[in-house]
Formats: sequence, C-alpha cells, structure tokens
Amino acid sequence: LSPSHAPQKRVFPMLTLLSMFYYICLRRRSRSGTRGEALSSRRAVESGQRAALPVSVEVEQYAKEVLDFSSHYGSENSMSYTMWNLAGSPNVYPSSGDFTQTAVFRAYGTWWEQCASAPPPFRRTPKSFHSQDYIELAFEEPVYPTAVEVLETYHPGAIVQIMACSLNPFSQNPPADVRWEVLWAGEPTKVLTPQARQFSPSIKQLSFPTNLIRLEANSSLLKYYTELDAVILRGQRERPILSLYKMPRIDICDLSDSDDELLDPGASFRQTGDGKHMNLGNGYFDRLPYELIQLIVSHLTLPDLCRLAQTCKLFHQHCSDPLQYTQLSLQPYWARLNDTSLGYLQSRCTLLQRLNLSWTGSRGALTFSGFSSFMKVCGGNLVCLELSCCHFLNEACLEVISQTCPGLQELNLSSCDRLHHQAFMHISKLTRLRRLVLYRTKIEQTAMLSILTFCTELRHLNLGSCVMIEDYDVVVSMLAVRCRLLRSLDLWRCRNLTERGLAELAVGCRLLEELDLGWCSTLQSSSGCFQHLARNLPRLRKLFLTANRTVCDSDIEELAANCPALQHLDILGTRMVSSSSLRKLLQACPKLLLLDVSFCSQVDARIVQELSGLFPNVAIKKSFTQ
Amino acid sequence: MLSVLSYGRLVARAVLGGLSQTDGRDYSLVTASYGFGKDFRKGILKKGMCYGDDACFIARHKSADVLGVADGVGGWRDYGVDPSQFSATLMRTCERLVKEGRFTPSSPVGILTSGYYELLQNKVPLLGSSTACIVVLDRQSHQLHTCNLGDSGFLVVRGGEVVHRSDEQQHYFNTPFQLSIAPPGAEGVVLSDSPEAADSSSFDVQLGDIILTASDGLFDNMPDYMILQELKKLKSTNYDSIQQTAQSIAKQAHELAYDPNYMSPFAQFACDNGLNGENPMTSRCCCPLWQSTQTEYVMIVGTVYFPSQSSACLQLRRAASSRMDCGGTPPSLPPLTAKTCRPLFSAESASI
Repeated sequence: LSPSHAPQKRVFPMLTLLSMFYYICLRRRSRSGTRGEALSSRRAVESGQRAALPVSVEVEQYAKEVLDFSSHYGSENSMSYTMWNLAGSPNVYPSSGDFTQTAVFRAYGTWWEQCASAPPPFRRTPKSFHSQDYIELAFEEPVYPTAVEVLETYHPGAIVQIMACSLNPFSQNPPADVRWEVLWAGEPTKVLTPQARQFSPSIKQLSFPTNLIRLEANSSLLKYYTELDAVILRGQRERPILSLYKMPRIDICDLSDSDDELLDPGASFRQTGDGKHMNLGNGYFDRLPYELIQLIVSHLTLPDLCRLAQTCKLFHQHCSDPLQYTQLSLQPYWARLNDTSLGYLQSRCTLLQRLNLSWTGSRGALTFSGFSSFMKVCGGNLVCLELSCCHFLNEACLEVISQTCPGLQELNLSSCDRLHHQAFMHISKLTRLRRLVLYRTKIEQTAMLSILTFCTELRHLNLGSCVMIEDYDVVVSMLAVRCRLLRSLDLWRCRNLTERGLAELAVGCRLLEELDLGWCSTLQSSSGCFQHLARNLPRLRKLFLTANRTVCDSDIEELAANCPALQHLDILGTRMVSSSSLRKLLQACPKLLLLDVSFCSQVDARIVQELSGLFPNVAIKKSFTQ
Repeated sequence: MLSVLSYGRLVARAVLGGLSQTDGRDYSLVTASYGFGKDFRKGILKKGMCYGDDACFIARHKSADVLGVADGVGGWRDYGVDPSQFSATLMRTCERLVKEGRFTPSSPVGILTSGYYELLQNKVPLLGSSTACIVVLDRQSHQLHTCNLGDSGFLVVRGGEVVHRSDEQQHYFNTPFQLSIAPPGAEGVVLSDSPEAADSSSFDVQLGDIILTASDGLFDNMPDYMILQELKKLKSTNYDSIQQTAQSIAKQAHELAYDPNYMSPFAQFACDNGLNGENPMTSRCCCPLWQSTQTEYVMIVGTVYFPSQSSACLQLRRAASSRMDCGGTPPSLPPLTAKTCRPLFSAESASI
C-alpha cells in the first residue's frame, strides 16, 4: 500500500492510517510469534526436545512379537519366565512380584562374573557400553516414536539402551540399508525398592518411522532377577513438523554414526620437508619412543583408534600396528559392523588372540565370505572367540573356524539357536578347547559325544537349555571319563539327568568347582545323589539346585560338612529345608556369598532377617510373588 | 456326622440363534458364568472364576472358543494344602495358553498337557490335584473338540435330547482320574494321572446346540432329565435368558443338594456300592444318608453368535457376575481391561 497510489486527498490519510494499522498488527503478530516460538524453542533447547505443532494422532501399541533375545530364565517352549512374555499387553503390572507371566533374563547381579567360568572383559570396551542382554521387539505399525515405556514389574532398573531400526521386519522386500538409531542410552541403575514401575525415558527424535525396537539391559546392580511385563511404543504416523528454531542437542555418539571411521583411510599424508626422520612435523611425538606411543594409543577405543589413524602418517602406522589388535571386541559396534568394515580390519588383526563378535552380523550384515576371509587371515593365533547371538553363523562358518583356529581355547556360541546341529561336529577338531559355551543351541547328542571324545582339555562347559540332547546321563558319563580337568559345568534345565549320571560325574571330575543343576527335575534327593556329590567334590564353590523340590536338610548338612569353599548356593522352591540346617551351612562355609532360599516354605522372611543379621557377608535372597 | 463334600459345578451353554445355516461363518460361544463357593476359611482371597475348590475359565481366540472346568480334590486339605490353588492355577494357565494362541483347536489334550507342564515351570512349589474338562469350539470347522480327565464332564443337547455325553473316569468311588503334583517322596502314594489318560472326542455341532459343561457337583445332585427340563425352557438366544436358565438350574441343584430327603444320583451310587465307611486318603467322611451340605460350582453360560454380533456378547460375558444368595457369595468376574493385572497368586501357598 504505497501512499503514491492514493488517488484522492481524503482517502490518503485513511489509507495511511490503515496501512500503518496493518503494519503494526502484523509486526506485533510476527513479533509475538517469533517470541513465542523462540520461547518454546528455548524451552525445547533446554529440555532437549523439539517444539512441534500437534497435528497428528498418537498411536499407542504393545509389542506384537519378540524377534530375538540374548537369554532368558525359562524353558524353551514354555511361557513361564520367558522372553516371549514381553509381547502383548501386560499381565502383571501394576502389581510387583516374581510372576511367571513376565520376561526374565538368565542372570542378575555380579554373581556370574565372579565365577571362574566367566571370561575376563575385553580391553578397549568403551565406558558407555554397559549392555549384557538384549531383546528385539516388533510392533504392528511403523511410527515416529514419541515415547517408549517399559513396564518393569520386579527389581527395575536394568534397561540401559533403547534403539530403533529403520527396517520393517514384516515387510516382504527388506531394503539393503538397515539403520539402527539410539533413542536413549543410560547407566544401569539401582532402584531402592523392587516395586513395579513404568520406565519411560525421554527419547531422541527419529527421522524415519520404526516398528522394530531393541532394548539392551544390564542387571549387574540389581539384587535379584529383573522382570519385564510389556513395552509400549507411542508415536505418530506422520512425520512431526520441526520447529524453525530447533537446535539439536549434539551428542558425541552421533559422530560415530558413520561407517567412515572403520574404513581404511585414504587420507593424504604430510610430506616430509627435508626427509629426515627426526623432524616429521609431529611435534614431540617424534621424540617419544615407539613403545610409549603404542602404550598411549592402547587406551583409545576402537573408533578413536580409527580416527587417529586418519590424522597423520605416524599415527596411521601406530594405529595399524597389529600389536594394538591382540584383543578386539566388536560387540559394542554390532549395529554398524558389516563385511566391508571387517575386511578393513583384516590387515591389522594378524596377531589377534581374543575376538568378540557377539551380537554382530544379523540381517545380512555379515556373511560367510566376509567372516571366512577374516578368519583365514586372523585366526592363526586366536585363543578366544566370542560368538554369542551371531545369527549369521552357519555350518560352513564353523568349519572355517575349525580349520583356521587350531589353537582355539575358548568358544562361545551362546544363543546361536539357528545354527544347524550338524555344524557342531566341527568343534571336535578344536582339541585344545578349554571353555565351551553352548547355551540355548540345538546341539545333538552325537556331536556332543564327539566333542567330549576329542576335547579332553575342557575346563568350562555350558550346556544350559540344550534341549536337543536326548540323554544327559550318557553325556555326563562321557564327561566324567574324558574331561577330568573340568572345573565348571552348567546343566541348567537339563531335564533328563538322573542320579546315575551325577554319581559318575562326582567320581570322574574331582576338580569340579561350579555346578549348575537348576530345574533338573529328574534328580531325586532320596537317591542320595546330592550327598554323594558333596562328599566327592570338596572344591565346590557354586552349586545351583534351583527348583529341585527334593533338596532336604541332610543334603544341606552334607554340604556343610564337606564343602567349605562354597560361595554360591541356590535351593529355590524346596519345602524340605529348615532353618537349622541352613544355620549349620552358614557356620561351616565362611566364604558363602550368595544363598537363594526363595519359595522355600520353611524359611520365612523372619528367619531370613535373622540369618542375615548373624551372617552379614551372605546375600540371602528371598523372592516373593506379592 | 454329616458328610462334608465339596462340589464344583460348571454349566456352559452354547445356544445358537435360529438363523439360517451358513457354513462359511465362524461360530462362537457367548458365555455367562455362575457358581457357588463355600468358604471354609473366610480370609482367603478368591480369584474370579474360582468357587471353592472348583475353577473354570473361558477364553477366546480368533480360531476357537475354549471352556474349561477343573475340580480340585478336596482331600488335600487334610494335609495342609489348599486344593483350590491347583485347580485355579491350572485353569488360569490354560486360559493364558489359549489367549496367546499356544494351542491347536483340534487337540484339547494338548492344552491340558501344556497347562500341566507350565504348572511345573512355576517357581512356587505347587501341590494338589484336580480333574479337568476342556471343550474347544473350532469356529471355522464347526466342530467341538473335547477332553475330559476325571469326573467333570459335558453334555450336548440338540432338539431336547442329549446327543453327546462324557463318561466319568474313576479309579474307585469318589476318586476320579486327576492331574496332580505330589510332595517329594509321596509320588507313589498320591494318584497322578497323565493328561494323555483323558478321554477325547470330536464331533460336529449345529446351530441351536446347547453345550453344558459342569463338574461332578451338578451331575451328582441333579439327574439328567431334570437338567434337560430346564434346558428345554431356553427359547431365545440372548444373554439374559441364558443366564436365567443357568440360574434356575443352579438354584434347583443347590436346593437338591441341601434337601435332606432327596436321594441324589451320587447318594444312590454310593448306597449301591455299599459305601459308608471312611477312606482317609481319597474321599471324605461318609454317612449313610450321603447328604452333601456344601455345594460349590461355577456356571458359565454361553451363546453362539455370528461375528457381527460377537462383540456385544463379549461385553455381556465380561459383565457377568455370578452372585447367588444362598450359601457362599462367589466373587464377581473382574473387568478385563488391558491394565488389569492378574497374577497367578495373590498369597503364597500355605506351608505344610
């Protein structure tokens, strides 16, 4: 409205007034708008969230299906204490307690880490990586998530990371590019009361819709098994509108989202000025001895190591030195590891001794060709190989391992439940094996017996939940004959083990320190098998007799008399043990640290309190249902 | 001394509307439950669908409707074990199995086997025993698959006549086949039948069929012809009339149970067998007159609707309360919302 357009003198002031009026109003509106948005976005910046205009409907859904998980307490094919309970609507929440309808992991606390069968931690594990277990859930409808709520009904505090995937697990044509984003990451917490709670941390905004959520958990600070009831995914169908003043919180982890740092750098190197070694333009680093720089660099995490390699020729040399890669854990980077990045690491890993590829390679990220070429180059000196939950593994991969790693002493195939039973035959070629973990695998009896025939150096064997073995008595007798150096044996949920097998084990494996016979329902105390065990295994440090309803006072007294080194004892669920025999045990075993008397009807809360007072070093566990 | 007998009753009816037969449609059951419970100890919290030592469940899945009855064996009370715990937990577990789809409609024995196996997977050391009867209506094939272990049972009535009836399975008098979990050491002494010992049958059902499932309490107190009389009165297919019929059967059975001069089928059978002594392990005190002073039962009344109407029926079913004014006052059914938590136990089991 320019004044020059005013045709008449009368209208001119009115138009001017009008235009001024409009101008003022518009300015005010825009200013308030700006101010309003600035306010809300400042709030948003402070709270780390976006200021969005609420236009789309929020969708709330429970998990439809559990796709994958690392471990659980219950039996395969059962719905009690198994991970499949996490799908669907909650059954227990808001009640608290130890109920069958919840999802429970296999372990808690630090008890398993204290055992001799636990491997030492890998060097260079980033401080932000706390995860011990994971579970992947598929929801019906992909949404842009606004909240993820985990209903924890017992000993909450285990969730340490929530991630979302760009892949739709139900789609017929999966895209080649699968991205995982961290929605939230935190530290393991110790919640003071074991009561139920709804855990809903504030999550990052995603740029893609998702219906595949992954929870990672760490129960090391918890006093008992954590139990999860359901997971709710809240989100919007339409992409949320970003506000103009959005300032994303810069997360240092975001920098490591690209694959680049694992690539071999093609960066240009600094030209040396005069060709002399001394002054290569690296400052004081030129004066430090090689070994000292190696020592400094040995404290870096793997992504930092790769980034440092890109800075200059000197550091490239240091960071590619195979001596830096004697231990390599790629588990924290499972989401980004693929054949290509593994290939780039190959040249550095020729002296590799301990390799952790647990959780990696799912959904086609790693293939046989990538794995085998890596193993052919780097397997020669390998001593320890962790392949927990590696679903890319097949029989050919195990064959390659048996061929390229003749000196292998530790092999972990925990939860590799898609591995065909024929693949396990190759393990018998690894005759120097000392530690073998086959928890939740489909190994069959023939392969097991074959392994036991040839791998006579076994010290630690985990056959927990190996449901395809028909007769455990036969397997255990073979163990007793061939593997006399055995120190720990995990037979969790080995349902058809009887006193015959146990008797032979006690006589054959005299060095046994750890024995897990949890949920082995066919063992009857009346046969005297537990007393026989106690008398023959003086070095016993861990004994789990979980849910063996026949454990009685005489068994406890025999343990007290013969096993002074006892540290962990679990006798959950027996009605036949009284407080007097427990008292004897606690007095006779000064090193006892863990005693689980949950659901032992003769040992009530008052007795537990009394015993805890008398023996303060022992953590006496008494779980409850309400 | 009067005999102390605890019965459980479960009556389930499937009434199909008199609509034209369209084989493509899925049949379903609409149910309402009734029951009587005699509270021996007032303090014990009774869960919904559990009346005395008897328990039942109704569960829907997209492929089938399933009803179940379990009659807890009362003799455990003498050993300090609450008999209702086993039957209630068994029914709850079977209900969860069905809801999660971990079953095959054509194999109700599979449901029983899985349910029993899950009981053994519980950390809590369960003890006790019960009979079980499970009825599965396969929606698409219009078949009824049944299995019965023990002396509970079912009736199928078509056109005023009984077309199918289950047989009682008994080892000896008042000692039915039973699933049990015994304390260690007592396995040889306590009766424990395998789920595979259950009688199974499968047959077609038509629109208009009435399916009645009950524990032995009903059949022991009320002969078949009296039950048939009541069922014949049922004309329409709506929920209220079904509930009324069920109520009248329940009342009648209850009156007969308390009638000192009435010779119930149970009493007749007992006298025929010359039984008036006491067998401490398996039965209760008997007296020459064989009167039952306590009746416990649960009643579920079901109606079959076509899918377009099934949602209304589901709400009716869930709103059903089974309150009767004589004897015990059974608790009402809890509302089944997503936020409701139904843990298996509300109190730890009584110790020996």
